Amino acid sequence: MAAAISPDRILKELADLWVTMGKQGQAEAGAGVLRACSMTLVVLSEESDDATAWGETIAALMPEHPARTVHVRLCEDRERGLTERVYAECWMPFGQRRQICCEQVEISVNQDALGDLPSVVLPLAVADLPVILWCRTPRLLGMPEARTIAAMARKVIVDSGTMPDPRDALRRMDAARARGVVLGDLAWTRMTRWRDMLAQVFENRERLAQLDSVKRVGVTYGTTYETSARLMAAWIGDSLAEAGGAPEIAIVRSEAVPTIAIELSGGGLEVQLARREETLLVTVNETSHHTSLPYPTDYLVMREELGVAGRDPVLERTLSSAARLAYPTDK
Amino acid sequence: MPAENPFQDPARFERRVPECVVVIFGATGDLTKRKLMPALYRLAYDRRLSAGFAVLGISRTPLSDDDFRGRMLEAVKEFSEDTKFDEDVWRGFAEGLFYVPGDLNDQALYDRVAAKLGEIEAARHTGGNVLFYLSIQPSQYAPAALNLGKAGLGKGNGWRRLIVEKPFGHDLASARELSDRLHEVFDESQVYRIDHYLGKETVQNILAFRFGNGIFEPLWNRRYVNHVQITAAESIGVEGRGAYYQEAGALADMIQNHLLQVMATIAMEPSASFHADSVRDERSKLLRSIKPMTPDEIGLNAVPGQYGPARIGGADVPGFRQEPGVKPDAQTDTYAAVAFFIENWRWAGVPFYVRTGKRLPKRVTEIAIQFNRAPLAMFEGEEGDGSSPNLLIVRIQPEEGISLKFLSKRPGNGYKLRPVSMDFSYGSSFGERSPSAYETLLLDAIIGDATLYTRQDMVEASWTAVQPIQEVWRNTKFDFPNYPAGTWGPAAADEMLARRGHVWRKP
Repeated sequence: MAAAISPDRILKELADLWVTMGKQGQAEAGAGVLRACSMTLVVLSEESDDATAWGETIAALMPEHPARTVHVRLCEDRERGLTERVYAECWMPFGQRRQICCEQVEISVNQDALGDLPSVVLPLAVADLPVILWCRTPRLLGMPEARTIAAMARKVIVDSGTMPDPRDALRRMDAARARGVVLGDLAWTRMTRWRDMLAQVFENRERLAQLDSVKRVGVTYGTTYETSARLMAAWIGDSLAEAGGAPEIAIVRSEAVPTIAIELSGGGLEVQLARREETLLVTVNETSHHTSLPYPTDYLVMREELGVAGRDPVLERTLSSAARLAYPTDK
Repeated sequence: MPAENPFQDPARFERRVPECVVVIFGATGDLTKRKLMPALYRLAYDRRLSAGFAVLGISRTPLSDDDFRGRMLEAVKEFSEDTKFDEDVWRGFAEGLFYVPGDLNDQALYDRVAAKLGEIEAARHTGGNVLFYLSIQPSQYAPAALNLGKAGLGKGNGWRRLIVEKPFGHDLASARELSDRLHEVFDESQVYRIDHYLGKETVQNILAFRFGNGIFEPLWNRRYVNHVQITAAESIGVEGRGAYYQEAGALADMIQNHLLQVMATIAMEPSASFHADSVRDERSKLLRSIKPMTPDEIGLNAVPGQYGPARIGGADVPGFRQEPGVKPDAQTDTYAAVAFFIENWRWAGVPFYVRTGKRLPKRVTEIAIQFNRAPLAMFEGEEGDGSSPNLLIVRIQPEEGISLKFLSKRPGNGYKLRPVSMDFSYGSSFGERSPSAYETLLLDAIIGDATLYTRQDMVEASWTAVQPIQEVWRNTKFDFPNYPAGTWGPAAADEMLARRGHVWRKP
């Protein structure tokens, strides 16, 4: 028989946790603990998700984005139904005596108990603070239970790079955008440094003046970067159109490219961006420079995504264009 | 050509920084090594600078470009406090470092600078944008600016800006004269007077705190605020700067610029917008509202001090007059406390106590806003009678943050109250690193945002408030030293507050 849990019990456990930690903190360092919370972060993941790596990501995120984290794991064990545990993620800021802690609630749920999930998760949201939903599994994204939770979230973060059909993923995300869902897409976040560097090329007024003469845009991508590449191509196309250009856009898959590579050409201007291990090589008319480009870990992309609290107009515009590029015949 | 870069994404990208050359006069000096170069390197590390960014160092010492790069490398490694040294970042940054040796008074130097800037512009596409930074003796500011003008460097095909460090004159007349001479080459809009206090994250946060929240501003006036204390205490002495310091003193070195700017930020009216001139108009208006004091009022509202020798932590500490380079009968104020009054409807009658000093017990800078007591003491015990007023404390250093002190009921029977503190700490609430004041201010100058820079009318208003005190003190022979090193200043400063029923906080 599936076990039942009550949100009141979880909240009571959280309250007890603070009393215990406060007493421990006073006894050990004499300074107690400080509760930090700026949002409720609901994370939906599969049981197979690497729990250690995930824990490290959350631990790294908390100092900058302290949150009550509600981690929902979708498990296969039919006997377990719904189970939960509460604990705290704490750290000691350098040179200080008082620990800072964030609340963590872990809920395991099997397929049979999925229907009960929203009634447990929704009361756990911290009042007056935003709820962010991070859906780490494409499987859950389409389920009605996830939609109920998404409806209370200010922002829903997904990774279109993990979705099985990249073109369809872009179309579905654009449809969600059109319904008013505020989206974050980690496949897009992974492109921020690339986009930033491309933008910097055109901070120079001489090059800015050449922008409308760009005739060709090429985005080449490796295995898991198709949605990133499509979003990038759409963004470049939109930006060039804004400058009065109408370039030909080519999106090409290549096993030789580990992530993506970008090329703009025309009017005597050649711009190329390519990854070289942990650096980005930017070449403009045969003059090159390197800039650091760490591999985009979950921590790095989520750190950025949690920093963009509201709508992201550039992503929204790009999603529309990317969906149109993927399905040119769609209305 | 599009007016704006269409690839901009302000939600995700940092503020765009135009291509430019920063020309540092005094490039082998302490400020360049300790502050400017580590700040610029950090900006490069954070990818905040454009690809063609360049620095042109100017100093008397004969050095090649490579020698200069070597020296700056040492400086960055030694003085970058919280930045990991990255070989790749340094290599890219160092390619943009150049050097021209020469004498500031030799016009030929400026011609060589012009030629070098031409070469850099051609090679690095800097668009003719140049930021001149005068990190030199204040007496050289005007000659250097005039020589830049003679070499045609005050104007060009891009923008030209000039940063000058304090002191901006040593009194009102000299401040005006300095500005007049700078204005012969640079318009006021091109002159950036740097006050690194305004670049501190917490000082900037005062505006966010006051004008970004709805609950504080209604209390921010004479009806609810009893008085304000602004403290900038240093535990160190003059650290080898005795010769300079004995000519300046605490009043001119700290209060005339840094602390009056902080006071203006705390007390100014909300600006109509966050544009540089709107904010600076309000700061300036506040500074102009400070009541100038008569000599009699100065005797009651301003206290100078000078530290004497003492034994601190088992070590003998010399008095100011025993410091190297200081005259044995120096009348310099190493401590200054002033009660300022602002003549406007918001603040009439509210004392703003401002104090600063060297060799005080600890290094701390903070603003304490003390609110009026509850009108009726309802509760039992010492605290319940209202003797512990509500305090809002804005800590600028060392632990940046904001605390609100209020009374709360102690658990148990009866109504015994105890003061408790609600704390916001930058370090714990925001895990990310705060940029240093010089990073913020240099970037602002490159972008052309003068919000945190001091305008000429603000400098003049500050001198108008401070100069009468300076003149009275200059014509009075004080019985110095009047406080031992390691204490909170002279007894007269305590008496100044006691006359109004107030007590200095011990931060």
